[in-house]
Amino acid sequence: MDLRLNDAELAFRDRLRDWLAGVLPELPPAPDRDDWPARRRYDTAWQRRLFDAGYAGVDWPAEHGGLGASPTEQLIFLEETARARAPYVGANFVGLLHAGPTLIVEGTDEQRARHLPRILRGEEVWCQGFSEPDAGSDLASLRTSAVRDGDEYVINGRKVWTSHAEVADFCELLVRTDPEAPRHKGITWLILPMDTPGVQVRPLRTVVGSSEFSELILDDVRVPAANRVGEENDGWRVAMVTFSFERGTAFIGDVVESGNILRETVAIARATPARGGGTLWDDAALRRDAGRLAAEVNGLWALIRKNVSEASAGMVPVQGASVFKLRFTESRQRIADLASHVLGRAALTLEEHVVEDRVNTLSFTIAAGTSQIQRNILAERALGLPKEPRWT
Amino acid sequence: MDLTPSADQRDLRAGVRDFLAGRWTPDRLRAASASPSGSAAGSAGLDPDDWKALGELGVFALGLPEERGGAGLGLVDAAIVFEELGRALVPGPLTATFLAAGLVPGADDGTSAVTALDLGDPTLVAEHLGSSAQVVLVDDGLWLLPADALAAVPLDAPLDPLTPVWRVTDPPEGGRLIGTGADAERWRTRAAVLTSALQVGVAQGALDLAVRYAKERVQFGRAVGSFQAVKHLLAESLARVDLARAATWTAALAVDGPADRPADGGAAEAVSSAKVLADDAAAANGRCCVQVHGGMGFTWEVAAHLYLKRAWLLETCWGGADEHARRLAATL
Repeated sequence: MDLRLNDAELAFRDRLRDWLAGVLPELPPAPDRDDWPARRRYDTAWQRRLFDAGYAGVDWPAEHGGLGASPTEQLIFLEETARARAPYVGANFVGLLHAGPTLIVEGTDEQRARHLPRILRGEEVWCQGFSEPDAGSDLASLRTSAVRDGDEYVINGRKVWTSHAEVADFCELLVRTDPEAPRHKGITWLILPMDTPGVQVRPLRTVVGSSEFSELILDDVRVPAANRVGEENDGWRVAMVTFSFERGTAFIGDVVESGNILRETVAIARATPARGGGTLWDDAALRRDAGRLAAEVNGLWALIRKNVSEASAGMVPVQGASVFKLRFTESRQRIADLASHVLGRAALTLEEHVVEDRVNTLSFTIAAGTSQIQRNILAERALGLPKEPRWT
Repeated sequence: MDLTPSADQRDLRAGVRDFLAGRWTPDRLRAASASPSGSAAGSAGLDPDDWKALGELGVFALGLPEERGGAGLGLVDAAIVFEELGRALVPGPLTATFLAAGLVPGADDGTSAVTALDLGDPTLVAEHLGSSAQVVLVDDGLWLLPADALAAVPLDAPLDPLTPVWRVTDPPEGGRLIGTGADAERWRTRAAVLTSALQVGVAQGALDLAVRYAKERVQFGRAVGSFQAVKHLLAESLARVDLARAATWTAALAVDGPADRPADGGAAEAVSSAKVLADDAAAANGRCCVQVHGGMGFTWEVAAHLYLKRAWLLETCWGGADEHARRLAATL
């Protein structure tokens, strides 16, 4: 075992740092949270800069236009961009981290040629149409139907939690093509162009007050059969390929942010007078809580390095990814709580970043597999405990 | 960068695990801890043959250079071995004897056990004093004292039945100076890492025992481990031990050599983080193990309490979680 980066990795890091130091001061201010067209422009412009500098698709294979970087280089890229406070992947998330990698593995040559270069250049934004009002953690119970009509599918149903739907060009869509088959065997993965007639986007207002997500209403939407990825009724397996990209390294930037918030909170506590004299930081309980959270953040860094090392060795860190998701999301909420406690009654407006963050992190233990689902995964797959009786 | 054990390190772990499985069987642990009210000295004195066997296995000399009879291995290799010792609940002043190897004759090959006393602690209590030949006083230097020169009385009914403890009645004086202030700091740092590794092992051992029971024990016509209420307790235990292990390996590597960002900070932060997470993992997993065993978990005969009590002992060693959390806070 060894924590040091090798010479090539150090050179990769130094080149990236130099580039970030040059490019970040040139960026325009970040757009307003609710201005979706502006957010798309901002996020895709950043993606274009990454592309021009040779940093687009860090984890994509080189033969598909990516950087073909090693897992360690991907870690360096995500850590360095987050530490430099570069823009987040944002509207490019689904295209770069879900749909693109899925097309690389499962798509046809035509599908790859049409979409992959445009995703990398920031010309194409994707959204995800997996979850439904009645199919959340139990995704395989999804009911949005697709009926074959000649060389088209006719789609009817509803999808929810669709981020960036208002500004997306395409949607990765899971539909039921065989209602008679066992539930995992009747699902198909389709590429839905968002400008197809019958696609209606209805924004959902979240507890943060913004419309981060939308509901998709699909009413006799006709999609060419050529937009199918993988075989008909083989979409569950394709979706599992999609998910395998989700639980890897997506949260590295968030761990950097956790450390930042913790340090900023401590700076505020040191500067805030306490009742009865001194500052809030004189409170031993606050210091102990902050110290424990710092240990947690450092532990998460260690776990990331272990997961990345396993990926480098050709292993799939399933257990490590679930442990990470579970611990990161819960400690992230505790950090947001701590920051709000330090602000006290100044924390009574969502305009305060810390407060918005506290509310926003409620989604962390729900999205991308709830904490309860992660615990089931760990208990059943890693510890080998008997499965809960459930539908098959 | 690689935070997965090498083939040699996996072999090392397997070798130690096999050796301990043959020697520290559940029956042996049960017998060794048989007497809940026995006096410290009587009930759980170390068997010198056990100690010599650990020495022959190379446990204590692991970090010494090969020309001095060691294996020339690093602290992370020691952490791998210590995790196994913790997992098997091996008793004895393991950390002190390991750190005394090369400084105190007989420590490296297990011909004598060496205990330690942290004079920075306001309450002076020494483990395994009756079985140890020497005691290392860790203060602003390292001093060596014959164990019988320490004024101390054994405590009845030690919390961990496998770890007799002595209360030191008079602050120790004198002894032979064997290390500088820097050596003492180095001792404390490495002792915290090795104690974290023992705790990771305790946490893993408690989890293993609880999982085995949850698969066997049937209530309501089903293995209790099929209930989510139980499953989720065990999943939490797994998450704790995985996080603590990664943090402990990282700390060991950071202490041994230059690292690119071992933690948000340096080696000291990595060590304190490891101790906080490992103490938490061991104590919480021990408690989980008792809980999953239900009423049987409250009996002396089931080993669940041995893990929890060892965790509660080790969390007092070389800085508790609160102390290390305060140190981390000071760096924020």
